[in-house]
Amino acid sequence: MSLLFKGRSHGASDARVGLVQSVLAFFISHVRQALGSLGELWRQPAASIMTIGVLGLSITLPSTLYIMVKNTEKISAGWEQASEISLFLKQNTSAAGAQQLLTRLSTWPEVDNLTFIPADEALQEFQHLSGLGDAIAYLESNPLPDVVLVTPTDKHATPQAAQLLLDKLKQQREVDIGKLDIEWLERLYALLDIVRDLVTLIGLLLFVAVVLIIGNTIRLNISNKRDEILVMKLVGATDAFIHRPFLYTGFWYGLLGGLIAWVAVILILWWMDSSIQAFAALYQKDFTITGLTGGALFGMLGLSVLLGLVGSMISVQRHVREIEPR
Amino acid sequence: MIKFEQVSKTYPGGQRALSKVNFHIQPGEMAFLTGHSGAGKSTLLKLISIMERPTVGRVLINGHDLNKISRRQIAYIRRDIGMIFQSHQLLMDKTVFDNVALPLVIEGYTHKETTKRVHAALEMVGLRDKARNLPIMLSGGEQQRVGIARAVVNKPPLLLADEPTGNLDPKLSMEIIRLFEDFNQAGVSVFIATHDLGLIARMKYRTLTLRQGQMITDGLSEADGEAWS
Repeated sequence: MSLLFKGRSHGASDARVGLVQSVLAFFISHVRQALGSLGELWRQPAASIMTIGVLGLSITLPSTLYIMVKNTEKISAGWEQASEISLFLKQNTSAAGAQQLLTRLSTWPEVDNLTFIPADEALQEFQHLSGLGDAIAYLESNPLPDVVLVTPTDKHATPQAAQLLLDKLKQQREVDIGKLDIEWLERLYALLDIVRDLVTLIGLLLFVAVVLIIGNTIRLNISNKRDEILVMKLVGATDAFIHRPFLYTGFWYGLLGGLIAWVAVILILWWMDSSIQAFAALYQKDFTITGLTGGALFGMLGLSVLLGLVGSMISVQRHVREIEPR
Repeated sequence: MIKFEQVSKTYPGGQRALSKVNFHIQPGEMAFLTGHSGAGKSTLLKLISIMERPTVGRVLINGHDLNKISRRQIAYIRRDIGMIFQSHQLLMDKTVFDNVALPLVIEGYTHKETTKRVHAALEMVGLRDKARNLPIMLSGGEQQRVGIARAVVNKPPLLLADEPTGNLDPKLSMEIIRLFEDFNQAGVSVFIATHDLGLIARMKYRTLTLRQGQMITDGLSEADGEAWS
C-alpha cells in the first residue's frame, strides 16, 4: 500500500503475490520474529535466567498456596460427612419413650443413621475412660442422660443444613439438649476463607510484581535497541512491527517462567508429601496430596504467558513511542 | 513532487528554523538544497520525511498534504521516500546484506524476492561482494553506498539525501553524486541537501538556497543565483 503514489506496488501485499502466499509470508515473518526473540534470550543467558527465575518463583508461591487450600478443602469435606448431632434426652424419659423417639426419627429423610446410648452404658463407658473408676460407684443415681447420636445424610451434613436439622430435633419433647458437633468445622471454614483471601491477595500482588518486572526488563531491552528502532522507524517500520519482537520476548518470559513454576510446584509437593503422610497417619487418615490438575496447570501456564504479554505490552506502548528520529 | 507552501517552522523555545518557504520540485527532477550550517536545510528535509511538522503552512508530496497524515500513517509515507544520511544510520551489528534488506523485511517481502532485490541494489552501488561484511569493515565511502543501497532497495519514487558527501573527499563525493544521477535517469526524483558548493558548481542542476530560514533563491530565477555567498 502506498499512501502517496497510486499504483506503486509494495511488498507482500503486492498484487503479483497471491492471497495464500501473503498470508503465509505473514506467518513466516511472525515465526521468524518469535524465534528471533527466543534466540535473543539465549544469547544473554544470565539476564534471561534471572528474569525467568523471578517470574517462575513469583508464580510458584500463589500456586502452591492454591494447592494447599484445595487440599484442605478436600480433607475438611471428608470430615464434614462425619458430623454428628448428639441429643441428650430428658432424665425422665422412659426406655419405651426413647424407643418411640428412635422409631420416629428413623423415618426422617434427613437422618442417615441413629445410635442409641442408654444412660447405664454411657456411665460404664465414662467409668472406664475417665479413670475415676470406683468413685463413680458411690453415686446414688446415674447423672447421665440417655443419648441419641444422629448422623445426617450427606445432603444435610453441611453446616447450615445440619443446624436446621438440629433445631428441628430440639423441638422433640423427649430431647433436653441438642449439640451439633460442627462449631469447629465452622471455624475451620472461616479460617479457610481467610486463607483463601490471603492467597488471592498474595497472588494479585505477585502478579502485579511480575508485570512490573517484565515491563522493566522489556524497557531495558528497548533502550538497548534504541538505535535499531530509530533506523527501523526511518525506513518505514510500523509501530506494530517494532513492538512484535518485544511482545514475543514477553511471551517467552511468561512461558518459561510458567514452566519453572510448574517444576517448582512439583518439587515442593514431592518434598512435603512425606511429612503430610506422617501428619495424616496421626489422624488415621489415608490422604494423598493432589497436585495441579491438567486444567489448573494450563491455567497457570496461560496466566504466566498472559502476565508476560501484559508486562511487555505496557512497556512497548510507553517506550517505543518515545523513540522518534529527530 | 515536493511542494512547500508558505512553510514556517518554529522549534519549541522560539528558535525559528524556517520562515515562509515556498518552492516546487517537479517529478523526475534532481535538485540541490544549499546554505550555511543552521540555515534550515535539515529542518526542511525533516518536514518532508515527517520527522518534524510545520508550524505554519503546507508540505505536499505528489499532491498529498502531509498535515493530513496521521502518526500511524507516517511509516507508510517513509516507505515511499528513500532517505540517505550523513551519518549513514546503519546497524553496525548487522551485515551489509541485512542492513539493505531491512526495508524489504519491514514490508514483508518473501525471502526470495528480498535476496534478489538486495543483490540488485548492492550491484548498483558496486558492493555486491561485500554483502556478508559488517559495515564497520567498510570505508566511509562504502558505508555511505550501503546507506544508498538501503534507500533505493524498495525502489521509492523519491530520494532525499542530507549531506550525503559530508565526510568524503571530492573524488568519492563525485562518485556518490554520479550514483544519484543514475537513479534520477531511471525516473526517481532526487533532492540533496549539501553545503559542498564546489560539488554543485561543477553541475548544472537546479539549486535552492536557504539563508537563516528563508529561501533566497529557488533556483528557477537566474538573477539571484550567487546572492548568498
